[in-house]
Amino acid sequence: MRTKPGMKRRGTRLWSSSVVVGLLLSATACGGGAADDGKVELSYRIWDKNQMPAMQRIIEKFQATHPKVHITIQLTANQEYWTKLQADATGGSAPDVFWMNGPHAQLYAANGMLLPLSDSITSGRVKPANYPEALTRIYSYQGTQYGIPKDFDTVGLWYNKKLFDAAKLAYPDDTWTWQNVADAARKLTDPSKGEYGILAPPFNQENYYDTIFQAGGQVISPDGKSSGYDQPATLSGLRFWTDLMKAGVSPSLKSMTDTYPTQLFESGKIGMYYGGSWNAIEFAKNDVTKNDVDVTVLPKGAKRAVVIHGLANVVYAKTKHPKEATQFAEFLGSKDAADIQAQTGAVIPAFTGTQEAWITSMPQFHLRAFTDQLAYAVPFPGSKNTDAWQSKEAAIFGPAWSGTKDITAAAQEMATAMNAALREEQ
Amino acid sequence: MPDGTTVAGRPARRLGTAATHLVLAAGAVVMVGPFVWQFLTSLKTFSETTHVPLTFLPSEWQWSNYSQVFDVLPFRQMFLTTVLMTAGRTIAQLVFCSLAAYAFARLRFRGNNLLFGLFLSVLMVPGQLFLIPQYLIVQDLGWVNTLAGLIVPGMFSAFGTFLLRQFFLALPRDVEEAARLDGANPLQIFFRIALPLARPGLLALTILTVLWSWNDLMYPLVVSTDPAAMPLSAGLATLQGEHMTDYSLLMAGSIMATVPMIVAFVVLQRHFIQGIAHTGSKS
Amino acid sequence: MVTPMTIGLMIFYLWPVAQTFFYSFTKSGPFGGHTWIGTANYRALLDEPSVGQAVANTLLYTIIQLAGIPLAVLLAALLNQRGLRGRSVYRTLYFLPVVTMPVAVAMLWRWMYNGDYGLVNQLLSVIGVQGAHWASDPSVALYALAAIGIWMALGYNMVIFLAGLQGIPATYYEAAAIDGAGPARTFFRITVPLLSPSIFFATVLTVINSLQMFDLAYMMMSTPGSAAGTANPALPRVRTISYLFYQKAFVEHDLGFGAAVAFVLLAFILVMTILQFRLQRRWVHYA
Repeated sequence: MRTKPGMKRRGTRLWSSSVVVGLLLSATACGGGAADDGKVELSYRIWDKNQMPAMQRIIEKFQATHPKVHITIQLTANQEYWTKLQADATGGSAPDVFWMNGPHAQLYAANGMLLPLSDSITSGRVKPANYPEALTRIYSYQGTQYGIPKDFDTVGLWYNKKLFDAAKLAYPDDTWTWQNVADAARKLTDPSKGEYGILAPPFNQENYYDTIFQAGGQVISPDGKSSGYDQPATLSGLRFWTDLMKAGVSPSLKSMTDTYPTQLFESGKIGMYYGGSWNAIEFAKNDVTKNDVDVTVLPKGAKRAVVIHGLANVVYAKTKHPKEATQFAEFLGSKDAADIQAQTGAVIPAFTGTQEAWITSMPQFHLRAFTDQLAYAVPFPGSKNTDAWQSKEAAIFGPAWSGTKDITAAAQEMATAMNAALREEQ
Repeated sequence: MPDGTTVAGRPARRLGTAATHLVLAAGAVVMVGPFVWQFLTSLKTFSETTHVPLTFLPSEWQWSNYSQVFDVLPFRQMFLTTVLMTAGRTIAQLVFCSLAAYAFARLRFRGNNLLFGLFLSVLMVPGQLFLIPQYLIVQDLGWVNTLAGLIVPGMFSAFGTFLLRQFFLALPRDVEEAARLDGANPLQIFFRIALPLARPGLLALTILTVLWSWNDLMYPLVVSTDPAAMPLSAGLATLQGEHMTDYSLLMAGSIMATVPMIVAFVVLQRHFIQGIAHTGSKS
Repeated sequence: MVTPMTIGLMIFYLWPVAQTFFYSFTKSGPFGGHTWIGTANYRALLDEPSVGQAVANTLLYTIIQLAGIPLAVLLAALLNQRGLRGRSVYRTLYFLPVVTMPVAVAMLWRWMYNGDYGLVNQLLSVIGVQGAHWASDPSVALYALAAIGIWMALGYNMVIFLAGLQGIPATYYEAAAIDGAGPARTFFRITVPLLSPSIFFATVLTVINSLQMFDLAYMMMSTPGSAAGTANPALPRVRTISYLFYQKAFVEHDLGFGAAVAFVLLAFILVMTILQFRLQRRWVHYA
């Protein structure tokens, strides 16, 4: 930003600074800045308040072995995280280490905002084999690794046991197929009681990305250059959901807008919900869901698949302390750090073998369903500017979910829009 | 007053008064009912809010919803931020606007018309036109997520200057003339004579600035991203973003954010109403 | 004496307008850097359907807001009757939404408008009317939003009109009473014309504010930012110019396009305001 005539820009800055100095009685402007006595100040930005205590403990552990390094956590609201990070990265003031997610990974990597972590891998300090392969792949761009996986989430079929009992239906299990879902949804639906068999919102990670992969379709071509939305298999993955909407076995899109799907599920009147591993902690607290619901693996389509997404810790390319920041990122990806995360139950740590603590943290749910699916997990699709096309999905698919537009036409429209966005990236 | 000019007029008038009260009371229910519902919802459990048919009164009054707001939002900090931001902007506006307004109303200086024209043009331009550069300036100064970033651009107001100028123009000149003949300089006249006389105008500006500052959303949304540095308006927006449609919690949070202004209004309502009315008659 | 204010306005208001004007001819990269692209943003405005829709939404919203003005005049006239008891109580109650934070108001109404659990539909069902999903149905959401807007501004306009009414000399009413004019005739022949300067002021203000509508729409339409990101199906029919500006400039980081949208807004405000000042000669009576 701001490559206006340099003179003027500096002028503005000086001007306003002096005005402010003159006007403000107390110095409210931020201070900070590092002392140069060998001490290294690092900043670490995250967005989830619930994970703050775990992150703090990890930091303490790291500082114990690196006494010269001092790390401060910056917590930014989830909604504003990317806005602020992008602004800070633009201004050269992004934090030294921060959380990265799938949709933004390539954007930051491609624009030179992230420090390559190749050395960590070649030196053996970080072993890719320690993390789910599909997850590691999200943070690799043109053959270079930019992030160390932190945690992951997959999707499972949550179901309300009480409603299944009342309808005298067997609980879903790993033998289920799409057909079983449709049949059970029909039997569980009773609009007069406000009960619906399933929630079928147009959510990508929880709903149609999974079924697209299960149908053998794709969202984006492997080379990242073209959309998969015009493929027949992809269409059938989408149609699975619009058919459920059409059959009236799900609350309407409007209802799911007025009241968020997880909360409809928590009201105890919904039979099934394709929900994330991240829902477990909330469902364990809710009065209805803590006793009445359980979870299993996603039903099979043409094949088995589930979308895996997860965060990674990345290092800012312009950090003043690349060595220490990389060491910290490596530690965040270590087994020690993963063990600390697992205890909180908030997320599934990415480090293989540390998930057991998470699975047993809520014994009332069959959480193993989420890790059992790793064998066939597919990475959350992304490109260099994922937002550019992903942000169009909701608006284009919405009418198909409401029944005012045919899904074939919507998918075609999405393919066109996405291909246009992908061309812009090149 | 033509009170009860005819004997037959009395019952008719009484009927008219009753009808007036009926209309006004019905209107009052529409105006206040939502707040009552907000309060009742804030005391329900989540499952009660999604129960059909709706129950009007909570079965058990969940005051814990209010304490939960403290868990999910750094409410104390947000409250303090809002108070400081509002106070900072208001005090600064009172000082700067009144100085400039008096100068425009009374003093002749080179380029005063041109300058006043520029001020007026700012008045016509919507805030969206300032926002991008304001944000970039704030970011350049490292003021994102600071109180300074929230306050400083809001310290200046073309509207406030214009409003107060109208008040100063309406003041009688003779007292000021007398003071000038006694050898007082313009600043002395301003502080000792004009300012005290313009008190209703200052009050109107105070009320409008406080209201605007407390309730404004877009600017704080842009320059504060860390919940700990947000004022209440942006904080509430975040609350809705993260707690989706957990309405009992949202209602509790929104009540906590708005009650201070409502209490201030009820206590100082005469001033509020006069302040608003003044802007209508002076502009 | 004017120096501090002049400097402040220059830095934070006047110069920014020029900067915004400059940005509207540029394209910004995801991590900074402006490229001069001439009028491409303005040409894109014409091509992008969301812009035309946002303009239409904003104008419709503004027109509906104007309906709140006669309502406020009527209420003020009722309140201004001589010897009316409880006047200040009514005034306080009607004014309450004015001092309430719009963010909170939007949250409250979004809850009232909930299609399945909302109070509005519950009350409608009592009289046998099937309600809608007011905040998510594309065909009604803008009207539902406009109703909140009127509800919020009613007390403000009413107070302006009350002040105006109190400035009308009682002799006019006495004369009308002697002429045997009924309440309706008095209202249209005396109250409205003598109140016309206040009505004009309120109209200008309402139009300017309505054209800039953001908070209510933003809060009504925002959907939780799950990784998936979903959108309210009513968003395209509710998104105002100001909302579009925020979205383009600060969510999608397209500062140049956002700047161009801001100028569209300015154009509408200028045109509408000039139009009103032109028209005022026909109906506003200055005593």
